[in-house]
Amino acid sequence: MTDKFFDLTRRTFLDRVLMASAGGVMATATPWVAMAAGAETAGAGKVRLGVIGTGDRGRALIQNIAKTRNCMVAALCDTYAPNLAKARQWVAAGTPEFSDHRAMLDTRGLDAVVIATPLHRHAQHTFDAMDAGLHVWCEKAMARTIADCGAMVERARTRGKVLQIGHQRMFHPTYLNALRRVKAGEIGPVTQIRASWHRNNAWRRPVPADSDDRRINWRLYRESSAGLMTELATHQLQVGNWFLDAVPTRVIGSGSICFWKDGREVYDHVALIYEYAGGRKVIYTSLLNNARYGCEEQVQGSKGTIEPELGRIYQEVPHRALALQRMQADVKRGHKRTIPIGGATWFPELPVTTPGESLGWGEYDETMLQFEGFGEAVRKGKALPGLLQQAYYASVASLLGEQAMDKGEAMTWPTSLVTV
Amino acid sequence: MRALPATGELCFSAMGTRVELHRFGGGAADALAQAERAIEMVDDALTIHRPSSTTALNEALRSRQTATITDPILLDALIRIDDARAATLELFDPTIDARHTVGWEALRFDRQAATISCADPIALDFGGFGKGYALDRAVLALQEAGVGCALLSAGESSIAVIGEHPLGGTWSFAIPDPRQPEATLVELELVDEALSISATIGAGSAAPERAAMLRPGAPSPVTAPRTAIVVDRSGAMAEMLSTALIVADDAAALRLHDGARRMRFDLTPAAPTRIFV
Repeated sequence: MTDKFFDLTRRTFLDRVLMASAGGVMATATPWVAMAAGAETAGAGKVRLGVIGTGDRGRALIQNIAKTRNCMVAALCDTYAPNLAKARQWVAAGTPEFSDHRAMLDTRGLDAVVIATPLHRHAQHTFDAMDAGLHVWCEKAMARTIADCGAMVERARTRGKVLQIGHQRMFHPTYLNALRRVKAGEIGPVTQIRASWHRNNAWRRPVPADSDDRRINWRLYRESSAGLMTELATHQLQVGNWFLDAVPTRVIGSGSICFWKDGREVYDHVALIYEYAGGRKVIYTSLLNNARYGCEEQVQGSKGTIEPELGRIYQEVPHRALALQRMQADVKRGHKRTIPIGGATWFPELPVTTPGESLGWGEYDETMLQFEGFGEAVRKGKALPGLLQQAYYASVASLLGEQAMDKGEAMTWPTSLVTV
Repeated sequence: MRALPATGELCFSAMGTRVELHRFGGGAADALAQAERAIEMVDDALTIHRPSSTTALNEALRSRQTATITDPILLDALIRIDDARAATLELFDPTIDARHTVGWEALRFDRQAATISCADPIALDFGGFGKGYALDRAVLALQEAGVGCALLSAGESSIAVIGEHPLGGTWSFAIPDPRQPEATLVELELVDEALSISATIGAGSAAPERAAMLRPGAPSPVTAPRTAIVVDRSGAMAEMLSTALIVADDAAALRLHDGARRMRFDLTPAAPTRIFV
């Protein structure tokens, strides 16, 4: 596919999504998309990115950046040399490498940094990068504490820098299609989103002889991570807020180390209910010893259900008037007719197994689009509108959920959040 | 225009399905509650999905012990099944035997002494009997409470009516074609009768915990797409006969069906809508 054809395809898709809704509802709900879709190609020179953290996730990001037409990796940084060595294959020969991020920031020639370090390091790396005059793209979740999340927002504002967080679902064509169909009223008012991220593995990486467990398995320790909440749930809580067009009013939850009793400190089993205005809810579960239901959000309205990960939309099966109830009504009005009973076709309240329809797909990679959007934001010195607020609230929701589980009590949405 | 009778209805879950009781005119104020209680008592006695008289009996039979039947409902159910053996050509058999080598005929059932035993490990499952029997008990409760007009349903596959339709004449029911639920397979007229529908296809047949239709002595379930419909004075008998019709071979089915109140339909996709065996 040529760049021109690709660009046309993507723009056509996004235009169709954005323009399809009446009154520009989609453009309002996804203000970042139009700007990202309009990203200029490399004509003005590629945005030069320094990547801090070249572990598994960092290397995946590097590969995505390589696919973009307006960004390039201009420096690598990791405190663990083997990670740098593995990342080298994805960048141009001679790309500078650093073991200290401050040293990388001190060199000239970078426009922005990409942060893919353990969660508890995000805030400091962001502060340091912005203090060095650079824009920041940071992996989700934003930070280990709600206070640090707010401080990152504040730092971006005071330094006048772009801060973008890696919530790629906001660029995902299927999610955009899903939101368009929700906004069009196809599944009726959404009152509940049931989200899950279920895996069946220890979530534990092997520790090389030259490293240690807390460094390699930082996701399993409280100092560095809130575990499932910040590493997985934050994606889906963002979707919940986005599709319900609100933030939660409060959250209740239960967390436990239920299966992997291997010395980890974070829960391997979480169940939470996030309440929204009007009685709406996001019901969230994540666990590490059963993968039957995998990763999914079930967006439930009175007329249908959307499951974005499966790319399906299901219409509610029309309620069949109960034959015997109708018979009662017939008798009351003096009307006699044959009673159409269900017979062997009747069965009460089993799950509906209709196959549904495809939501519709788009031919582009969402992670690539978010980086092209970031590149465009860096060039213009102006953040993609709406993105940071979504990310901030998703991180707050995930950390508030952790607090609710730790304290065993309902946590109300904080009133002290910074304004995005 | 005749005066419309007073009406009342009660819906609840029992016998693993949705039960509806509709009464029209006459009788005690608590007649529906009495009928509900009658059904719940049958459920409590015959269920194998929670501890019951039947599960206690099954424990004894599985360990080849002689069981004394102290539950009068369970004893009555066993007597009715025993009495219906000839009518169903011995094709209704509530016994469960993993090896499919023994059946009801292997049981030593002494109805006078209220004992039952078997030399081989065996158990009982009252699916294919229970709903119709429960409706029989509910009909009796309603009649004893003075109700002369009512419709009772257990999952819309087991129906019983008391008296004529509240507006006069027969109760008319349309039975759907499981292949095409919007199409009618047959219409039936009932007065003071019960109706049972069994099928090997349809939404209910795929339900969890739904027991497969087994021909006594045969190790494999009946897989041919078919449905059987039986009208009888007794709901329990209708239920047993419809099960027997499903599992019967063609020769036995011909002996069981009468084309009017006992029917079996071939539901292969290409079959015409109304085909008897």
